[in-house]
Order: sequence, then structure tokens, then C-alpha cells
Amino acid sequence: MKSLQIAATGMAAQQMRVDVISNNIANMSTAAYRPRVAEFSDLMYQQFLTPGTITSQIGTVVPTGIQLGTGVRPSTVSMEITQGSLRQTGAELDIAIDGSGFLEVTLPSGEVAFTRDGKLSRNPDGEIVTMQGYALADAIVIPDDARRISISRDGEVVAYFDNETDGQPIGTLSLTRFINEKGLEAIGDNMFRETEASGTPNRLVPGSDGAGILRQGFLEDSGVDVVKEISDLIEAQRGYELNSKVITASDEMLAATTRLR
Amino acid sequence: MSNSVYAALARQQGLIQEMQLVANNIANSSTTGFKSDRAIFSEFIAGTGQDTPSLSMGTLSAHAFQLDQGGLKFTGGQFDLAIQGDGFFVVETPAGERLTRAGHFLLSADGTLVDPHGHPVLGTGGNPIILPEEATTVSIAPDGTVSVDGELLDQVGVVATEGQLVRDSNTYFSAPDGFAPVEEPSVVQGALEQSNVSPVLEVARMIEVQRAYEAGQTLLEREDERIGQLISALRER
Repeated sequence: MKSLQIAATGMAAQQMRVDVISNNIANMSTAAYRPRVAEFSDLMYQQFLTPGTITSQIGTVVPTGIQLGTGVRPSTVSMEITQGSLRQTGAELDIAIDGSGFLEVTLPSGEVAFTRDGKLSRNPDGEIVTMQGYALADAIVIPDDARRISISRDGEVVAYFDNETDGQPIGTLSLTRFINEKGLEAIGDNMFRETEASGTPNRLVPGSDGAGILRQGFLEDSGVDVVKEISDLIEAQRGYELNSKVITASDEMLAATTRLR
Repeated sequence: MSNSVYAALARQQGLIQEMQLVANNIANSSTTGFKSDRAIFSEFIAGTGQDTPSLSMGTLSAHAFQLDQGGLKFTGGQFDLAIQGDGFFVVETPAGERLTRAGHFLLSADGTLVDPHGHPVLGTGGNPIILPEEATTVSIAPDGTVSVDGELLDQVGVVATEGQLVRDSNTYFSAPDGFAPVEEPSVVQGALEQSNVSPVLEVARMIEVQRAYEAGQTLLEREDERIGQLISALRER
């Protein structure tokens, strides 16, 4: 009974879909989180009677043949590239990326990672760091005596000091773009790593060559659309049930067979 | 052995295969661009010897996939494409050009438009579609025209077969007799065509197959009993 295994592949696929959906829902409040979508494709076909097989001497052929499918498999779980809505926080070091691009972060191992989560802060040395305490690759140090800092749309960071009206530029933030953002490898903590599929990182000035702009005092919300996730969840659950019904039916057919003797 | 057993057996084998087909349809009820299958039974006439009536058996002779339009699901994805009406996208696989209705496309590391298996999607000229690195907005018109930031780039090919369509894995179809461009295609950007499997129909068919199978088994049981009785009756003589 192949139908038992086929239904099992269907159940596994729906199960995986539920896993993906539950992770999306769990991350509905994660800054700059991008929802993932599971896509499926059918498995190989068993060719019982290949279409095109010649059936007579005058060259008539089998029009469709018998091809029996063997189930389903997940083909990809990809990130949806959507701009999350921007939420105003007013915090000086909260940066939202409006458009495409990532901030480059240096991990403690020296490796480079990329993030869209712009909840930044400063460490005891005055460096601008991510929530995990990892320094930005742009290595900007805010002087101790700076009264406030401002970050322009194109990444210019300016520090203002007491008794001075004009600020002093202390560095620039850059944005990194990839040809194929969906090809980045998620490593947790809202961070991504470059892969063969993503293409090489392309460091740009914010606002140029397709890179987004920076907005100080805003954070990007999670891109998860809860209503959509819930309707997908219902679909996945029903799909799972349908497949389990196939298993029951196949089982009963087997039971009918064994009853024979 | 009695011919009725053979006739029932042929039917049972066909039903098991149909069950496999139904299971495959249900398993693929969430597969983008999947087309459901239907089994076709035909009568098979077997001779039983000279001057005796021939025996008719029902066997699974063919299957047909239903090319009905699946529902469109709006995803908003920039490279999610669905075809409304006739036509297929063309992808270049190592085994040759394949047709597909599953339009969940992505970009590769060099900016080529590819499907989830990494095979390039072909334009109307039979060439892969390569997007420039600095592209921000890519819009795809209903006729498949790809424009990047307002400038014309290429056109996604939408074709129809000129003969047979053979099913392949990964929601691909191959067209051994070749294919030609569809006139006035209708491509929808930001949507995916869902599987056209109808759960209600599949469940109804599943129940039908299961019950028919059980009926067949009952027939075999009765036939077995009948022969048993015949043998014991003969023995008593």
C-alpha cells in the first residue's frame, strides 16, 4: 500500500508547515523579523505506462499513460522580503532601515553578520553596539562628553557637545545589500550570515544604489501578518487531518485484505 | 481457478493504484502549482479459450491530470508569479527545458531569476532572466514583461504545449512535442497558484475507492466459500 507512505509524506509536510507558522507567530513582536513561508513540490512519479508508448503499427501512442505520484516534499522555506512597519520610539540609537539593506555586525569570533534590527546602544567604551553587545562593523565611538547624537538619512553620525551649536561628524553608518537576500543564512539573534546563494555583500551609502534610508528614533516591527498566519494554520491543520484520513482508509483496505483468510 | 476471481483481482489492483493516486493528490493539496490526477479505468477483454465467452476485466488504463486553474493566493512577493488561464513558465533544468505552473521564484547569487530548485526561469527568447544588482523595484506586467526601476529588461516566457504533457517531479511537466508561446498570457505578480486539488472531491473518491475495494474483497470471500462448498459437496458424493 503506497498510499500509506504517501499520506505520511503529506502529514510530514503539513507538520513542517505548522512548525514554520508557529515560529512566525512566536516572532510576531521580534524587531525586523521577516516571516518565513514553506513551499512544497511533488515527488517522483512512478511510470507504469509512459505516455508516448507506441500502441500500434500505424504509430498511435498512449496519450497520457499511467504515472503514479509518490507524495510531497518541502521544496523551500524562504523569507518574505517585506518592509515591516516603522514604530516611533524616540530613542537616539534606535535605527530603522526604510528600504532594503542590512547593518553589518562584527561577531566576537571576528566573523561578519548582518542584521536589520536597529535597536542599538553604546558599550562602556562608547562604541555603538547591537543588543547582544556586538560592535557594528562601521566602528563608531561616541565621545563621553557628547550631549546628543543625530543620525542622518544617509548614515552620517554627528555628535553635539555642550556650548557648541554645530555638531561634529564622528563617522558614517553604511548599509549592506545582497542580490539575493532570501539566500542569507539565519543564525538567530536577528542576524544573518552571507552564503554562496546570497551573493557577495555590497556596502553602500544609505539612500544610494537601491539601499534604503536610515530613520533615527524608529524601529522596524516584525513583518508577521497574524491573520494570514492563523488562516494558514487552519489550512495546515485541515491538510494534516485529510492525510490522516487517507491513512485510515488505506488501513481499512488492508484490514479487508487480511480478513480474506 | 474461477474467472470471477481474476476479474475481481484486476479490479482490486486498479483500486489500490487509484488509492495511491488519491493519496498523492491529498498529500499535494498545499503544493503550489500542483495539478490533480484522475484515474481512468477501461475494460480489458481476455479470451478464455476457444468457443467460450470472453472475460471482461476493469483495469486502470490511464490517468489524466486536471489542468483546471488553481486558486490564486496573494503573497505580495516580488517574484511570486501566477498564470491566469493557459500557459506554463519554462525553466532550464539539467535534464532539459521543463514547464511549470509553480511561480515561486527567487534570485540566485548572480541575480538570475530561478525557481526554488535553482533552475533558471527562461524569458521569451529562451534566455535566463538576469536582474541588475542595484534593482529596487521589479515589476512584472500581465504579459510577462519585466521592468526594473521603470526600465524594460526582459519578458518572462509563458508557453503552451503543442502535444503531450508528461508529468515530472517538482511540479514540472516535460513537453516532448515542443511548446510555443501563448498569445496574450496573463501573469499576476505577487500571487501564487495554489494546488487545484479539491479536498471534498478527493475524500469522496477515497471513500468510494475504499468501499469498492471492500466490496471486491467480500466478493472474493464469497467466491472462496462457494468453491469450498463445491469441493466438499463433490467429496460427499
